[in-house]
Amino acid sequence: MSGPRRFQFPWRSRQDIRNDVDDELRFHLETRAQELVASGFSADDARLQAAREFGDIEDARQYMRHVDGSIETRRRQRDYVGELRQDLRYSLRSLKAAPAFTIVAILTLALGIGANSAVFTVVHRVLQAPLPFPNADRLVRVWTAKTDGSFTQASVSAVDLDDWRANRKQIADLGGWWFADGASGMDMTGHGAPARVSAAFVSPGFFSTLQVGAELGRLPRDNEMVRGGDDRVVVLAHGYWLRNFGGNSNVINSAVLLNGESYRVVGVMPQTFAFPSPHAEIFVPFSVIPDGATPRIRPVRIMDVVARLKTGVSIGQASAEMKGITRALAAQFPDANAAWGDATVMSLHEAVTGSVKTSLMLLFSAVSFVLLMTCVNVASLLLARASSREREMAVRVSLGATKGRILRQLVTESLVLAMAGGVLGSVFAAALTRGLVLLAAGQLPRAEEIHVDGTTLLFVLGIALVTGVLFGTAPALRSSAVNLRGTLNASSRNTTGGHTRLRSALVVTQIAFAVVLAVGAGLMVRSFDRLLNVNVGFKPDHLLAVNFNINTERHGDTTWQRYYSQVLDRVRATPGVMSAGASQYAPYRGMGERNSFVPLDYVVHAGEDRPSFPTQRVSDGYFRTIGTPLLSGREFLPTDRKGSPPVLIVNEAYAKKFFPEQDVVGKIVSPDGKNPITIVGVVGDIRQSAIARPAEPLMYLSNLQNGRVKVTLVSRTMADPLTMTNAIRNAIWSVDRDQTITSVFTFDDVVNESLARPRMLTILFGIFGTLGIALGGLGIYGVLSFLVSARRRELAVRIALGARASSVITLVLRRGLLLAFAGVVLGLGLALALARFAASQLYDITPTDPLSYGLVTCLLLVIAALASALPAFRASRVAPVTAMQSD
Amino acid sequence: MAKEPMDLLQGTLDVLILRTLAWGPMHGYAVTRWIRERTGDTIQIEDAPLYKALHRLEKAECVLAEWGLSENNRRARFYRLTPAGRKQLKAGEAAWRRYASAVFAVLEPSA
Repeated sequence: MSGPRRFQFPWRSRQDIRNDVDDELRFHLETRAQELVASGFSADDARLQAAREFGDIEDARQYMRHVDGSIETRRRQRDYVGELRQDLRYSLRSLKAAPAFTIVAILTLALGIGANSAVFTVVHRVLQAPLPFPNADRLVRVWTAKTDGSFTQASVSAVDLDDWRANRKQIADLGGWWFADGASGMDMTGHGAPARVSAAFVSPGFFSTLQVGAELGRLPRDNEMVRGGDDRVVVLAHGYWLRNFGGNSNVINSAVLLNGESYRVVGVMPQTFAFPSPHAEIFVPFSVIPDGATPRIRPVRIMDVVARLKTGVSIGQASAEMKGITRALAAQFPDANAAWGDATVMSLHEAVTGSVKTSLMLLFSAVSFVLLMTCVNVASLLLARASSREREMAVRVSLGATKGRILRQLVTESLVLAMAGGVLGSVFAAALTRGLVLLAAGQLPRAEEIHVDGTTLLFVLGIALVTGVLFGTAPALRSSAVNLRGTLNASSRNTTGGHTRLRSALVVTQIAFAVVLAVGAGLMVRSFDRLLNVNVGFKPDHLLAVNFNINTERHGDTTWQRYYSQVLDRVRATPGVMSAGASQYAPYRGMGERNSFVPLDYVVHAGEDRPSFPTQRVSDGYFRTIGTPLLSGREFLPTDRKGSPPVLIVNEAYAKKFFPEQDVVGKIVSPDGKNPITIVGVVGDIRQSAIARPAEPLMYLSNLQNGRVKVTLVSRTMADPLTMTNAIRNAIWSVDRDQTITSVFTFDDVVNESLARPRMLTILFGIFGTLGIALGGLGIYGVLSFLVSARRRELAVRIALGARASSVITLVLRRGLLLAFAGVVLGLGLALALARFAASQLYDITPTDPLSYGLVTCLLLVIAALASALPAFRASRVAPVTAMQSD
Repeated sequence: MAKEPMDLLQGTLDVLILRTLAWGPMHGYAVTRWIRERTGDTIQIEDAPLYKALHRLEKAECVLAEWGLSENNRRARFYRLTPAGRKQLKAGEAAWRRYASAVFAVLEPSA
């Protein structure tokens, strides 16, 4: 359109258009008829003539209506865009005019949105994104299960696995592996320093099921993975290949020595392949494990199984098939399998992520509560702003702005705020995501796949829109319903009632959310405190551990134990070392191989497995060094060596299981009912697998008698253990200056690492809880300050009439505490309802832990009282005269 | 201009209307009278296509329509040329002259 902006008629309706077109046509026809009459036509003839000259009137009428309708539609759209631009401009101007409000609101939103998006990113990448395999949704895990349902996820024997694979129909392929972090490994010699290499022993079908090819070389063929085949082949993991072979492609087809035998390197896996664990360094056919180590019989169930479903086959169908095959095997081989006639099938994705699902979802709920609170907070800021803008709104209404128009402009303002918060929030999100991954410290599966991506940004956009509408609508609705006369005529004191009610409701909501967050934090902190006070079975302070592998080529296949003793002696002689001992694995770093040493008279019932327990090789003085109490008998001695009678030390859990109420020392046990071993000592329980898991039966062999070359040498030092690192290393090198040392760490580190996940939850919940309480306190403070300033006149009158300061203070305080109390009651109910979802993440604390709930209640009430105190004090200082004059 | 393909007549009508409105704003009836008087018996133009063209031109933002009072004090819809319409008129006139001279060139090859 032309020229300066013209005043426009309001939009024309369909009916308006119809009438306009009719009027225009009628004007034409009548005017023409009049003219004709003037030139001598009769009235009727004139009308007919006019119509004749016109042509097809009805066609023209329809055409004009149609064209006018589309003109009108376009005009509406233009107006709408124009108004939107106007709204935007106006919003920016009015936000710029209130910089303090704008900055606080945007920062609050950015925090809420950023934290939410960061946790969302982690949740999405870990829990929702598909696993890095082709058609990963068709991969499942399969376990054997006890027929009576008492155990549903057991490993499978290599023999049963072969039968599963042979009988499969709806399953495209199926493969198994044995991998135990820190326990399944092979000694690699002849390539640099000898080292224990973490190995996954895999069955035929393992690679073909996952459908991941080798990056270099090839995968083992089926005939290379079976007994009698050419099975001395090994595939390297990418990282291991880079670290130990310098990423050299000549490694393919070269030979390496594993457990003293020659193996051909056939392939290297791609970098993205981290299955079954990122710690698996080599992949070796399961068939190479000799029967002497792990008999290939049905009762030895040690393999984990992954299967790929054929297209269109559901997990339920696959499960039915596996159950059928397993039941048939149980009927066919009742001696071994009668008790194991069932199978469990679960999607691989669920199996991989299941362990962190609960903690991540808890975090996500907590952070969503934080976001809700920020919404409520900004809503309440907007309301406060709304009451000071009431006159502005009234003026706009009186100048002709409709309620809808004002509403739209206010919502636009909220959306502008939300979008700004979103932009800043995505910056926060990127930083927070990295922080979260660091904080999770290896406790998060698939952590290497976590990064902020398009999905995160989409989420930020979505959540910014939703929050904008959430926090903007209620205040906007209230403000647009301006009481015109009241506002323009007189002071604003009559119009604040509604605002106060709405703000009070918001504050109650805020407190309720704060209670939920604080209870969550309380439970986590209490649970973490319990964990910190767990008796782990050793005294971790002042313990330095040094990891190394003994090179049997240098020190002799049969004589390396002498070197081992020499090293121990030198370290013990080092000034500053109080005592030293050695084991295979530090706590939480490995369990040791499982052996089934049981009493000679122990009866294995039909369908039951021979019980087996982790066994570690330790030196003399190990338990004294790490501070584990010797309950009876003796520790190993340097004389417990090859050739002397075999001896065993067991822990308390073992003693209680097999020899309750008896003197255990001197009892004879055996791995097979033939070779006897004498128990010479009982030590206190060490929580070897995880800090939160009570000790299971454990056994210890003398490393001089039945040794392993992997050594964790532990020294108890007088000073800070890390300051002793050099002295202890030098002591080792004084025996063999070429001894490579794999790692050095303190036992305190070990304990800290094992607490990483609960610590992460505790820290994050702590932050969210504190944030919640702070926002809740601010909310109360805000609404009371507002109330006091809105009721200044009333308070002034009271004071003028002789009310004492204390009664005014009580008035305001009571109001604040009432709000807090309502919020706390609501929040406690909500927390009680939600807490059970946290149960699995709590250690030794019930989700209804009264102390947590009690403390939170007290804390919030105290915060509420403090937040009310300042407004209350201000109320009592209202000067009657100025207050009454100011309006 | 309107988006639908135009035959010669339609284009012609548009130019005639725009040329007429170049004298000043007028209502539909006046437009039809003006064009009728000048084309006389040579071209028989009914009113209906003229009105359709007027509205089409309004949609194309070549003219602006507003209600006003006619000479006989009745409510009438007045059309006014917009700058876009003026431009369109110039282009249409030029096109017409080119067209006509092309036709003449055929009809009077010696000229």
